[in-house]
Amino acid sequence: MYSIRNKLNFTIIASMIVVLSITSGFLYVRVASHVEKIFDDALYDKAQALISLTELDEEGLEFDFAEDGVMLEFQEQAPLQYYQLWQNGVDLLIKSPSLDDNDLPRIGTESGSHQFVDVKLPDGREGRLIDINFLPRVEIEDDEEDEDYGVLMPPSQPVTMVFARERESLDATLFAIGSTIFGVFVIVLLISGLLIWRLVGNGLSPLSYLAKQVSAIDESNLDVRLDHEGDQSLEIAPIENQLNHLLERLQSAFEREKRFSANAAHELRTPLSELKTLAEVAKLVPDDREQVVAFFNDIGEISGQMEKMVATLLELSRSEAGLLRIDPENIQLAHYCEEIWQHTVNGQGANKSLRKHIPENLVIYTDREKLGMILSNLFVNAVSYSPDNAKIDITAEVRNKNVVIEVRNAAIDLKPEDILHMKDRFWRKQTVQDESGHSGLGLTLVEALARVMKLEVSLHLDNQRTFMVTISGLIPSVH
Amino acid sequence: MKLLLVEDSERLQRSLSIGLKKHGFALDQAFDGEQALAYTAVNEYDAIILDLILPKIDGLRVLSTLRAEGKDCHVLILSANDQTEDRVRGLDLGADDYLVKPFAFDELVSRLRALNRRRSGVKNPVIEFEGVRIDSVARQIFFDDQLISLTPHEYRLIEFLARRKGRVFSHDQLIDQLYDAGSYVTRNAVEAHVCSLRKRLKSVGAPNLIKTRRGFGYLIE
Repeated sequence: MYSIRNKLNFTIIASMIVVLSITSGFLYVRVASHVEKIFDDALYDKAQALISLTELDEEGLEFDFAEDGVMLEFQEQAPLQYYQLWQNGVDLLIKSPSLDDNDLPRIGTESGSHQFVDVKLPDGREGRLIDINFLPRVEIEDDEEDEDYGVLMPPSQPVTMVFARERESLDATLFAIGSTIFGVFVIVLLISGLLIWRLVGNGLSPLSYLAKQVSAIDESNLDVRLDHEGDQSLEIAPIENQLNHLLERLQSAFEREKRFSANAAHELRTPLSELKTLAEVAKLVPDDREQVVAFFNDIGEISGQMEKMVATLLELSRSEAGLLRIDPENIQLAHYCEEIWQHTVNGQGANKSLRKHIPENLVIYTDREKLGMILSNLFVNAVSYSPDNAKIDITAEVRNKNVVIEVRNAAIDLKPEDILHMKDRFWRKQTVQDESGHSGLGLTLVEALARVMKLEVSLHLDNQRTFMVTISGLIPSVH
Repeated sequence: MKLLLVEDSERLQRSLSIGLKKHGFALDQAFDGEQALAYTAVNEYDAIILDLILPKIDGLRVLSTLRAEGKDCHVLILSANDQTEDRVRGLDLGADDYLVKPFAFDELVSRLRALNRRRSGVKNPVIEFEGVRIDSVARQIFFDDQLISLTPHEYRLIEFLARRKGRVFSHDQLIDQLYDAGSYVTRNAVEAHVCSLRKRLKSVGAPNLIKTRRGFGYLIE
């Protein structure tokens, strides 16, 4: 796990270091080369000045700059500068007094060109020289030209001049430039780092606030909703909305689960307490055979109800876990409904009857066992909650290539608002546990099985207090 | 001790009524809240065993109605709701005790006896008068360590009067306390029980504890 803030800070600062380094490096190189060029230009100009003071006349080469008192920097005036000239690159013509017995190095530049090289000066300082190759200027005086037109001038031969001077001032300038650029680099980096740290922190504060709120939520306070301080950002708003919706769903699921656990515990506690009391009271009347037998009958009934409830809960849990598989087959619906009615009602609804409105030849293709459980639950409910001598109607017809089954019965005291809760687990019209064995799980199981079979179950209560359950989505058999 | 058992489960009613009667309690049975209020309107009970989830009127409404009407009988809630908030709600509405289902029958009986002791103001389960010792747990009476054999009605009568020492109870009040609402009992039955009790006490040399106030009823002084 990593911190977005740290990652952003480090990434931005690292990027800034790279950008600043490149910029500073480029700036330094540009400025340094410019300063060096100015230095070299000065070196070149000085060399040109020396060249202009080099003349060739009938007496040979003359070096005016070498005269005493002309250029003191080549003699004893610090900082000392140096020159040395050769003819044809070999024969030493002259060198500055500042060189004493030392020589300047020759680079070997071609005629008419020049080169700059860094050297160690004879006095031990770092220096820079220019090696320049030139033809000396020929000096012809006007009166001589007029009077002795035929005077012969010695041939002009290439002269190599090396002029050197210290470069400490250049290095000091370059160092000052480099230091300044580096200082600016460091200061900019520090200020930027602080600004970035603060701005990123400010920018991420809505996220931090959201994270703080989210981490304070646990199963005990799922009713809390996320909010924000001041204006909501466009980026955070959808996250906050989605998380709030998620919280709503979680809260509802938790409450449903809690309600289910409480209901399951309640539904199991009552028969358990009945069993326990029966067992304990039976010990008080061991000789009352009639009473003990009645107690055993009660125990048998309670066990049966508990078994049914546990089986239903297991079936529900299997359906929720996706463990129920569909095994479809062809079923003759009219015949199968009659079979389920006989099996389910079996004595319970002796004074009630089933009226079938199902075509005899209607065959559907579905899971026999699960359809049987659905019909069985619907019939038991219809019988239990309809008035005496009621007729229970079952209709099946094909609509839009689907078979729709409707089970209708008169409802005694059902209200329209009850329809909303009828599929809830453990919902009963009366919250009490009667001895009919209804646990309030029948329609929940019907709904769960229908979901597995990809059917739709809808409930309806009309003005005449006729309750109707509609199952749609069954597939008629192709045969 | 006269009880009203308010419970919608017929099976639990059957077994509890047999067990409680066997322990010497007089018992009326109500299967919903409406019946419970109807019984309490005409009878006095030492304690009411009250389920919370009841048809017609739920247990908490029954309890609050009783308290609003100024009925001070003890109420023991017997419910499958085991959450703390359920208990708190019940006790705050005026219940004296709360027992969660499933429960041990003996514990229920013990709690009812404790409520009875609290009602009579006598904390000791053993009451003694002039050498006569009434053990309300074992439901036996001794005189000088000699067991006096009594019928359940006789025991109930002497324990009832002993716990309310000095108070005179009429025939009708005693009938109400000792018998179920459904039982048909005449004043003669009470007189017969008193007479029989006196004989049994006399047979072991015990003093005659039960006095008669002519025109008013009986008491233990």
